[in-house]
Amino acid sequence: MGVQVHIHKTHRVSTDGKDVVQAEGNCVEECLEHLVKQYPGMKDVLFDKKGKLRNIIEIYLNHESAYPDELKKTVRDGDEIHLTFMLAGG
Amino acid sequence: MAFLTSHELERYDRQIRIAEIGKGGQEKLKKARVFIAGAGGLGSPISIYLAAAGVGAIRIVDRGRVDASNLNRQVLHWNDDIGRAKADSARAKLARLNPAIRMEAIRDTITPENVAQLVAGFDLIVDAMDNLPTRYLLNKTAIEKNIPFFHGAVHGFEGRAMTVIPGKTACLRCMYRGPIPEETFPVIGVAPAVIGSIQATEVIKWIVGIGALLENRMMVYDGLAMRFTEFRIQKNPDCDHCADTSGKD
Repeated sequence: MGVQVHIHKTHRVSTDGKDVVQAEGNCVEECLEHLVKQYPGMKDVLFDKKGKLRNIIEIYLNHESAYPDELKKTVRDGDEIHLTFMLAGG
Repeated sequence: MAFLTSHELERYDRQIRIAEIGKGGQEKLKKARVFIAGAGGLGSPISIYLAAAGVGAIRIVDRGRVDASNLNRQVLHWNDDIGRAKADSARAKLARLNPAIRMEAIRDTITPENVAQLVAGFDLIVDAMDNLPTRYLLNKTAIEKNIPFFHGAVHGFEGRAMTVIPGKTACLRCMYRGPIPEETFPVIGVAPAVIGSIQATEVIKWIVGIGALLENRMMVYDGLAMRFTEFRIQKNPDCDHCADTSGKD
């Protein structure tokens, strides 16, 4: 079981092209740690050198913004996490 | 209420036939005053469709000049316009599209010092910017002045849109996590065409007072997967733009 982590298209270069990755954990942070364990390249995508979630990253849990305190949000089996980023273009 | 001329009744006949619009809705469109921030990839379809729909007054602001690299998406501007101020190019095209509307194009940079004056007297603000700092400035101004704000942004084949109603909905700043680096974003013209059309649709719906707006909903469009995904956005009670205005009712 675990949760489904949806990977943004531009980040799939770090997940061997996978658009959805299964991850396990009790909260978003643990799921992302499991994601990074499977795909180490996602660490730099999501976090800065100090380990802080990058400002540009957006996290949605079950299609709802997880902001604020995204990483602390509790998850359950079958939940969905979408990882995307702020768009600035026009 | 703005009176429709026989010419206007003929020109807008196909949309007046839409039950939700009718003559009453067309009169509301004629009376409306729309501020569009940007005459680029998003500003092009937004302004074209709002002018075509008969929005009575449009003010569009852009600081830039037409560059060859704009032409893949900024359909207001054509090859002959390279080097021309985008505001001038936009004014010329939109005036030819619909000479009956009041069209004002201003060449200027939107700043904290001039934004209040630029949007003064307008019923709504449409976000067609190419950077986040100015988007946040417009978002803040819209909330302070109680003006609906129609957000849109694009990247590659992707885009997103959300409608902000001050005092009622989440705003663009409710998810703010800090500044992000500016970039020269990749984009294909059909992405802002889709998102700009969604923003224009939201504007028309708000003016006429019909339909369900993208309130507390971020609509994300993925052109490659050809999929729309909707994300719910909660008002942030600690938002530094909208919390004081909207959290106390």
